[in-house]
Amino acid sequence: MKRNARILRRANLFATAVAIAGLVGTIPALAADEVTQDRLLNADKEAGNWLLHHKNYSAHRFSSLHEINRDTVKNLKVAWTMHLGGVEGGGIWTHGGLEGTPIVENGFMYVTDGWGSVYKIDAHGGKGTLLWKMDPKTDHDWAGAVACCGVDNRGVALWGDLVVSHTLDGRLIATNKETGQVAWQRQVADPDKGEVITGAPLIVKDMAITGVAGAEYGIRGWIAATDLKTQKEVWRTYTIPGKGEPGHETWKDDKNAAATGGGSTWVTGSYDPATDTIIWGVGNPGPDWDNAYRPGDNLYTDSSLALDATTGKIKWHYQHTPNDPYDYDSVAENVLVDVPGKNGPQKLALEADRNGFAYAIDRTTGKFVWGLPFVKKVTWTKGIDPESGKPVEYDPKKPVQTYAVTPNRTDKTTDICPGNMGGKNWPPTAYNPDLKLWYIPVIESCNRITPEAMTPDKIKPREFFTGGGPSQPFKITGSVTAIDVTTGKIAGKAEMPYPNLGGILATPDLVFSGQPSGEVLALDGKTLQKLWEFNTGGGVNAPPMTFTVDGKQYVAILVGLGGAWDKWFIDSTPELKKMQPGSMLYVFSL
Amino acid sequence: MKISRIYLAALIAVSCMVATLISISGAAFSQSATPADPTDAGKHVFQRANCMGCHKWHGNGGGGYGGDALSLRQTQLTREQIVETVSCGRPGTGMPFFVRGSYDATKCYDMLRKDAGDQMPPEANVFLRPSEIEAVADYVIAHIKGKGEPTYDECTAFFGNGSRVCNVYKTEAKPAEAEQAKKAAQ
Repeated sequence: MKRNARILRRANLFATAVAIAGLVGTIPALAADEVTQDRLLNADKEAGNWLLHHKNYSAHRFSSLHEINRDTVKNLKVAWTMHLGGVEGGGIWTHGGLEGTPIVENGFMYVTDGWGSVYKIDAHGGKGTLLWKMDPKTDHDWAGAVACCGVDNRGVALWGDLVVSHTLDGRLIATNKETGQVAWQRQVADPDKGEVITGAPLIVKDMAITGVAGAEYGIRGWIAATDLKTQKEVWRTYTIPGKGEPGHETWKDDKNAAATGGGSTWVTGSYDPATDTIIWGVGNPGPDWDNAYRPGDNLYTDSSLALDATTGKIKWHYQHTPNDPYDYDSVAENVLVDVPGKNGPQKLALEADRNGFAYAIDRTTGKFVWGLPFVKKVTWTKGIDPESGKPVEYDPKKPVQTYAVTPNRTDKTTDICPGNMGGKNWPPTAYNPDLKLWYIPVIESCNRITPEAMTPDKIKPREFFTGGGPSQPFKITGSVTAIDVTTGKIAGKAEMPYPNLGGILATPDLVFSGQPSGEVLALDGKTLQKLWEFNTGGGVNAPPMTFTVDGKQYVAILVGLGGAWDKWFIDSTPELKKMQPGSMLYVFSL
Repeated sequence: MKISRIYLAALIAVSCMVATLISISGAAFSQSATPADPTDAGKHVFQRANCMGCHKWHGNGGGGYGGDALSLRQTQLTREQIVETVSCGRPGTGMPFFVRGSYDATKCYDMLRKDAGDQMPPEANVFLRPSEIEAVADYVIAHIKGKGEPTYDECTAFFGNGSRVCNVYKTEAKPAEAEQAKKAAQ
């Protein structure tokens, strides 16, 4: 009853707001509730909202809000907090963590916890009120036993009057935005094959685009589109080409390595409406460290992939690490930017790769434009070719590549820099279109690979198929590194004691980020000097975002260290062993 | 103070009665049902101490992000050696020690922390009491050591029936085998 009264009251308020908006004529009458393709295309025009996972289709994670700025940020303080759930373990995991980006529409916030529960929070009145929680009852052991890298969920998407989300056990779920009731759900990925889902859906033209995780379990990766009106699959494009398809010839073995070739797609991609192209990153080949098992370039692993949004057909690809023996995924988001170039405007796709290099690709042709290392130390290659962007040691005639330093079947161990967790992992970059600066959350890392020769009989459903494993004999730190996109050069590096496991938010003159030791930070957007810091007491493993309610600006961030780090990589940051599992939303304001 | 003490005493008395009742009814129940597996306590330790985090529920371990956890199915270790390994970890590997004070208050493999140096195994997330370590060793010996490939029945014995985690062990070969068996029988 109470809830109904509240909904009615809100409906009345909403009706009044629409009436006023109609009178004033500045806001389209529809804007308040239904999320349409038109609103998503113009997401940046709704400055106080955060409608898409990466803020806009170009994945800029840039907000024009400027009440919190270089001068005022020193007064930033906690406005409200909220404890969330989902911290419990399952499968091989002792606890869940928080990696999500909150979505905010008209003062209402939607967040997820690691097991995929969705929370709707009313952020009006300077406080957070939980309106509903949708618990998808994720099958903990089924999914948690084959989640390579944590109990994670990176957030929701909005479409129509629905909240669209994924679960670790492979479902796409549509929840009624007002009531929190599940409207429908569809199994998209199959944990019986080692497939799980951790990314947020991308909504394009009434379709939900889903990526999959599982390249450590012998999956064949894909990107799938579900029609939100009919709930049927529109297309599913495999990232490992089948027999007879272009690219299949880059799997030169005689044991059908392509069938278990990996190429997962667990980070939400971007969309270029001008060409109706989805650009999505593809992960490592499997087995991760035994590249002699899979001679050939292993397309489309470690690539940025451009797909026709309507059909899912591949338009172009750019591969960063052919025949990868390092686990250097290219799952990272592609940031779409238009900058002046020597021969007129350049339409670029930027990607900060796990292999330690940042790449600018011409997003109309898929051709390499520029690239540079964004980490302090790279040892696996002597560099990339300035024309092709390929590692200088790359020899297309060789079935198995040998780079400057290559884990292989002969040497017991090989030390690589960056480590296999990469120079940058999933945590998202941000791009300031005014300053033309692109900010990368960096893991300054090396680690040790112990390869293991694989044979087909070692492939078992739901078991690791990695061809070895990493260990952590080296101390790992981090940084926020800025690249000037007009020059393709590093503009600054703010070094930090711990790896950046959360990602970045950019505003007109600030950069927000966090540390797994608990700090949320604001840096000067130009100098990267630290201007503000607050210690949340929990490990920051998620990106900050910003929004307005009632005209006031807020910065929000989920806090709760989970993911791969505190299970697999913690020995490289022993001080972080004391960080406790947690599940908490922090919201800051002036 | 006095009041609260009396209150406390009453509370303890009531708790004891409740506990007695539970244990009586528990005994009555177990008499009428199938006797519980004596190694269930060890299975609980296996889960609580997250042995499955590296060795997996079936104990086969294997490579992966955490490196190579040894197979408890193929292990040659005796009960005493398993107890020692759990108590002290395995120097130079990721296998942690589960007894408080190992390498500090008590020597492990004749070493203290300073002797172990960079071979010092990690400290476990939870510490176990000696009886718990014996229980988990008994469980490993009864249900894991010497066993072949994991089966559906073993999986449901571990997880119960509430999860789809065991579906993958429902082999499609089974009906075919049954068919063949039938043919062979004819």
